[in-house]
Amino acid sequence: MTVAELQAQLKERFGENLTRMEERAPGKLSLTVQPKVLRALAAYLFAETGCRYVVSAGLDRRESSRHFAVVHFFARDPDRIAIDVNVFLDDENPQLDSITPVVPAANWAEREFAELLGITPLGHPDPRKLVLADDWPPAMHPLRRDFPHDLRPEPAEGVAFQAKEPPPGATVVPIGPYFPVLKEPAYFRLFVEGEQVVGCDYRGFYVHRGIEKLGDSVLTYNQIPFLAERICGICGYVHSTCYCEATEEAAGIDVPPRARYIRTIMLELERIHSHLLWLGIAGHIIGFDTILMQAWRIREPVMWLCEQISGSRKNYGMNLVGGVRRDIPPELHAKIEEVLAKVEKEATAIVGVVAGDTPLVMRLKGVGPLSREDAIRLCVVGPTARGSGVDLDARRDHPCAAYGEVPPKVIVKEEGDALARTLVRLEELLESIALVRKALAHLPPGPLMATFEGEIIDGLEGTCFVEAPRGEDFHYVLTGKANRPLRWRVRAPSYPNLQAIPTMIQGQMVADVPIALGSIDPCFSCTERLETVDVRTGAVRVYGQEELLRMTREGRGCR
Amino acid sequence: MSLSLPMAIINVGLALLLSPLLEGIMRKLRARIHSRIGPPVLQPYYDLLKLLGKEDLRAGDPWLILAPILALASTLTASLLIPLGGEAPLAGAGDLLVFLYFVGISAVAVIFMGMLSWSPYGFLGSSREMMIYLTVEPVLFVTLITAAVHARSLKLYDLVLWNHAMGPQISMLIAAIAYFLVLQAQLGRLPFDIAEAETEIMGGPSVEIGGPKLALFRWSVQAKLLVFTALFVEVFFPWPKTFQFIPDLGLTLGKVLLIVLVVAGIDAVNPRLRIDQALVFFFGVTMVSLAGLALALVGS
Repeated sequence: MTVAELQAQLKERFGENLTRMEERAPGKLSLTVQPKVLRALAAYLFAETGCRYVVSAGLDRRESSRHFAVVHFFARDPDRIAIDVNVFLDDENPQLDSITPVVPAANWAEREFAELLGITPLGHPDPRKLVLADDWPPAMHPLRRDFPHDLRPEPAEGVAFQAKEPPPGATVVPIGPYFPVLKEPAYFRLFVEGEQVVGCDYRGFYVHRGIEKLGDSVLTYNQIPFLAERICGICGYVHSTCYCEATEEAAGIDVPPRARYIRTIMLELERIHSHLLWLGIAGHIIGFDTILMQAWRIREPVMWLCEQISGSRKNYGMNLVGGVRRDIPPELHAKIEEVLAKVEKEATAIVGVVAGDTPLVMRLKGVGPLSREDAIRLCVVGPTARGSGVDLDARRDHPCAAYGEVPPKVIVKEEGDALARTLVRLEELLESIALVRKALAHLPPGPLMATFEGEIIDGLEGTCFVEAPRGEDFHYVLTGKANRPLRWRVRAPSYPNLQAIPTMIQGQMVADVPIALGSIDPCFSCTERLETVDVRTGAVRVYGQEELLRMTREGRGCR
Repeated sequence: MSLSLPMAIINVGLALLLSPLLEGIMRKLRARIHSRIGPPVLQPYYDLLKLLGKEDLRAGDPWLILAPILALASTLTASLLIPLGGEAPLAGAGDLLVFLYFVGISAVAVIFMGMLSWSPYGFLGSSREMMIYLTVEPVLFVTLITAAVHARSLKLYDLVLWNHAMGPQISMLIAAIAYFLVLQAQLGRLPFDIAEAETEIMGGPSVEIGGPKLALFRWSVQAKLLVFTALFVEVFFPWPKTFQFIPDLGLTLGKVLLIVLVVAGIDAVNPRLRIDQALVFFFGVTMVSLAGLALALVGS
């Protein structure tokens, strides 16, 4: 299907109710529809044309055009088409039909704009609080433009999360908010009969940092990449690249080829060290600490390599809108090749061990099952989708950086269990090594930064898909005034993948829950970007290192 | 039954004072397999001292304090029944059965510890501990009875003497293999550390204990290391013997060290199995041990 064909189909089906339709960039179709047909359109795109739901963003455009807006993002991956569905809403009482009944994966995104912008999704099946602290005042919507980024609402007492009741006869086994296998706080309430899980409830978003709000109220276009990189502690470069390419698309900036290749190389190096990190954690979860220690030992030279290229093991600080700040000089090529050869040799050995170790396979096979149908229904991404037989890879389907020129081989497994997801990652690791070699061999000469005169005008839109180690990362940028975006929406891969967890652990043994959870490689910090809030008190506060140390020694908590 | 006091002091002293060293050696080997340097071999002693010096915080049931005491006391009593380099300090007709009872009491202590902690992790750990105990204990019983059938005695030292005199037997070899296959589970090591399973249920039965209680519990786990490996090498591999106390004790401890290293090696290269997978495995081992017993009954 081409963009033109899709346009014709939509025109025929929705006629007058489609008020605007344009291809704002190659393969990026932008629609505006009447709110009354929104649910029907979403159902049509999702169920009939086989589009994948990506995320939704709520927009406060009252300053410029006196309305709120919601954009639902869809993608038709095999045809390389991305579709933005805009609806404009009343500025007094913004509400719209929820699409969650027809697109289950929209659950979180709709709850998010309900809380953060006060746009009510009518008919949402689970309108509980998702993002904000339990004692956050219900009438305060922090992502509205007139909400100051540093406002601190008064803490309230006696409010708690409305947890789901366990089914009769089941006991609750809490996993979290702090738990040995969760490196970040998240709270899964498992409903358990004997050793079997019969259901679960989730409360997350404990560590919001106000990143999107800072991006569109405090920082400038070229400061945001550095903040974006800190969204995640592992795949930060993915976020800064994704933000930069979305902004570049909005502003129409052509990035020089050398910069695009360097981005590709850094993205793949990040994937290599992230997958090795994951392998170690997966080993640790099932008690195989030798895998943890060896995988992290193998990973270390990649971190040193990144430090040699960028100056840091993590948070490379290399991206700006329009290009990259650091070159990969020719004298480093030999070093990169040397590290790649070492990692390839050792990773191949460990892959052989993992695939051939009977007890290990026993612990992974059939665990955390996710069928192909469920993977498509829940719109999961990355190795979680590819382990369930969904042929999906943003590097090939929506190429950014230099992936158009050096396409990856996409690895897909059909089994849909933790073992398949493990094998997908292990093979991807080796494929990434090949990709870095290829990109390095074809590294074109030329400048690192595009030339751009003047200012980025407001009202332009850009989106970008980058394949992070955990799956597809998606950023949306709507340009604004004062050299900063009006709205910057981040959707990390764990956001859809975490929503598939209840399906994956239903009917499983308690012992399998940690590895089932681990097998999606969840990244809570990526998912939780929004508010700097102490969950207990609702207070916002920054602690310095000395203060924290003092408090630790005195043995008291944060007040 | 008769108790020989100097021998008793030696047995309990070894179980208390030597076993942390064995643990330290295990940690060191594990670290080397991980490509780590690892803690000093004396670290377990430091850990115990540190934990013993901590404030005893209360959590769960007030009777929880009894569980680790019972676990350590029963394991130390069991150590009195082990012939270490000579006749056991607390020896008598039927001491094999007394040994099995004390092993049972230490398992029950751990199960109570989980129950009394009033934590869902504790309950899960206890139910797993119970399942493991009920499937592993028959193997221990059957393998020792195999030797007892041969020796026509229920006295542990008689089994040692008989096996030493008769030399290797097929049925005893089968029994030894079966005993060894459940040794990791007896000692709570991977792939069978299912009842503790730190990354799944945060330590299971020991989730709510800390300080001195945790020290006693850990000490009982370490003492088991010596008790079960020493029994293994004495009953199933008694050769060579000089029938002089000091050299025989040295030989036994040398063999114990060897087995401990093997246990540590297995521990380092396996993931944790799920309880259902482990039970299937133990059931298979029980069948193997019964085959050994059948052979012993027909006299081979």
